[in-house]
Amino acid sequence: MNPLRHKFISQCLQTQVYPPDASTRHRYLDVGCGGGIFAESVARLPNTESVTAIDPSSEVLAVAKQHQKRDPLLLEPGRLTYLDASIESLPHSSVPEGGFDIVSLFEVIEHIQHPSSFLSNVIPHVRPGGWLVLSTIARSPVSWFTTKLMAEEVLNIVPRGTHTWSQYINPAELEAWFMRDDGFWKPETMGVVYVPMLGWKEVSGSEKIGNYFFGVQRKG
Amino acid sequence: MPPSTRLLLRCQRHARPQYTTLVTVGKRGYAVASTRPEIYDVVCVGGGPAGLSLLSALRSSPITSNLRIALIEGQDLQRSRLHDASPSSYSNRCSSLTPASAAFLKDVGAWQHIDSSRIQPYHEMQVWDGVSGARISFDWDSASALPFSSPKQNAASPASSTIAYMTENLNLTSALLARLDELGGVSVYDKTRVEDIQLGEETDNLDLRSWPLITLSSGKTLAARLLVGADGANSPVRTFAGIDSRGWDYERHGVVATVQLDGHGWGGDAVKTAYQRFLPTGPVALLPLPGAFSTLVWSTLPQHAAHLKTLSPPDFTAMVNAAFRLSPTDLAYMHTLPSGQASELAWREPHTPFDPQHISQRITDVQPNSTASFPLKMRHAATYTGERVALLGDAAHTIHPLAGQGLNQGQGDAAALAATISTAVAAGMDIGSTLALESYNAERYQANNLLLGVVDKLHKLYSVGSGPVVWGRSWGLRAVDGVGVLKGFFMRRAAGVR
Repeated sequence: MNPLRHKFISQCLQTQVYPPDASTRHRYLDVGCGGGIFAESVARLPNTESVTAIDPSSEVLAVAKQHQKRDPLLLEPGRLTYLDASIESLPHSSVPEGGFDIVSLFEVIEHIQHPSSFLSNVIPHVRPGGWLVLSTIARSPVSWFTTKLMAEEVLNIVPRGTHTWSQYINPAELEAWFMRDDGFWKPETMGVVYVPMLGWKEVSGSEKIGNYFFGVQRKG
Repeated sequence: MPPSTRLLLRCQRHARPQYTTLVTVGKRGYAVASTRPEIYDVVCVGGGPAGLSLLSALRSSPITSNLRIALIEGQDLQRSRLHDASPSSYSNRCSSLTPASAAFLKDVGAWQHIDSSRIQPYHEMQVWDGVSGARISFDWDSASALPFSSPKQNAASPASSTIAYMTENLNLTSALLARLDELGGVSVYDKTRVEDIQLGEETDNLDLRSWPLITLSSGKTLAARLLVGADGANSPVRTFAGIDSRGWDYERHGVVATVQLDGHGWGGDAVKTAYQRFLPTGPVALLPLPGAFSTLVWSTLPQHAAHLKTLSPPDFTAMVNAAFRLSPTDLAYMHTLPSGQASELAWREPHTPFDPQHISQRITDVQPNSTASFPLKMRHAATYTGERVALLGDAAHTIHPLAGQGLNQGQGDAAALAATISTAVAAGMDIGSTLALESYNAERYQANNLLLGVVDKLHKLYSVGSGPVVWGRSWGLRAVDGVGVLKGFFMRRAAGVR
């Protein structure tokens, strides 16, 4: 799924009045970075100035840091910084002036019990003009069938209890939440489906029933 | 990469349980680097056509232009450049570049550096059975596209009647080196041997346990994010990676020479033809070069190859002329004579029926010191990739020369590996990870495997001297010659046109 994350972010940035060019440098905040798959990949890109990746689980961060040591490029000062923190406990000193250019929340929000207050703690870290991008799963009978029944019970490819179907959020709900005041605009959505033997593919319309990317730009 | 390069290795790769069993268990040594290793993104071992093409592709694309690249070559790279550009002398190592290879070389900006006065585009191929005389003539005019196929598929040969370009290998490597000089950005270590390849160590700050560390004969150590083995059929990089190479020897030798004809070809300079006759001992081929020159590739029994190299120029030229005209029985007899082939041919030829226009013009001379031979074999590596390792060209596969595909396969590998690396860089991947390299294996392995297999079966099919197999293959050959769509299908596959 990682290449599609890059594609989606690129898509969002291209909608800007002034899209980024070869000289633009972005500062990223990856919330809930896990083992660092996305954080590492974005830290290697030429347009990236810095990546700050946070996760409240110190075991998972230890794995991420161990993997970072395998690539001298990622050890360049400031390129990729892992912090054992939650968004609420993120120290001020780690936040650049004005905020981050892109804040990413991949496969996180479906695990949060109170998404509204969680997101309220995330959005101040997005600089005016910057983007919040996330990926999650829609709440539909199909997603219950694939992610709960098949993945957790039948095929056992995901540990039981990983997901709570009632916590899945639909793109329309996210859109409504972000548009309720004047702070964000230009919602972007991209539905993706896992096709066996081929991998993750962009499928228009699938955001209503399955995995999708969602992005919004902060006005300013 | 020239087989004379010597590479010494003391240790093999450590087996990793999560990878496939194709990696053999080896004893792991300890890195004794006297200096801190220099970190490179791509270290290419081997400065032959495949390696040089790969580096040209990486350097010429903006996406991969930030990669730190090193080239290691045991020979002096000046020897891979064309120095003697005399139009009356050609190197005996030539290859037939397909339109697909030419298109790739144009893409990476190397084609413009080729000395075009020394390459020969040819427009027709005459192939016939030395036992039955069954014949097929390959040319774009008599080949058809599939009915209902798209216009792109119909463009069998883009705006030209060229089947392929006969090129000296030196001309090609010279052009690629010129392109790399133009682009810059490659640390070249030529006249340098690889002394050792080891996996790195883990320290507090850096974990190089998956990184190959290459120790050079100069004492320097390079650490490679991706180690590319373009180092020929006996690839030491492949050995380091613990990748098996399987196949068999053909018990044939390929004899090459530069020869002169008594004309510029039946079609003159405008329509050049390549000729190949399948004898039971192996195919003999004359590929056209500019003017009255041609390059000979004669695959035959080792003892015949040795015999040919002992002959005087007049007897050698007579043997080659005989190979295209006389019966296999006559030829077998002539192979037993230490000399006198010229007169043997003179009195046998009038009694042998053939149409001179259907075969090459007579050979009058052979270029001094251009006769050489090399053993023929088929090999295929078990896989082209491992952790932080990729193989291409002869290091990955060796093929019988009868279809002129070997060098082109290497070019196809270079194009595919460059594309794989480019995709990985664009997605922020570690280009040495097996996940990143997987698409290269998927793209090239089956295609190469198929071609190796088909060429192998052609060799075996035409090794039969008599009986129903001869009848069957002759019928098949004439059928393909008669059915334009079938002929077109094979020609497009051989040309690399999709």
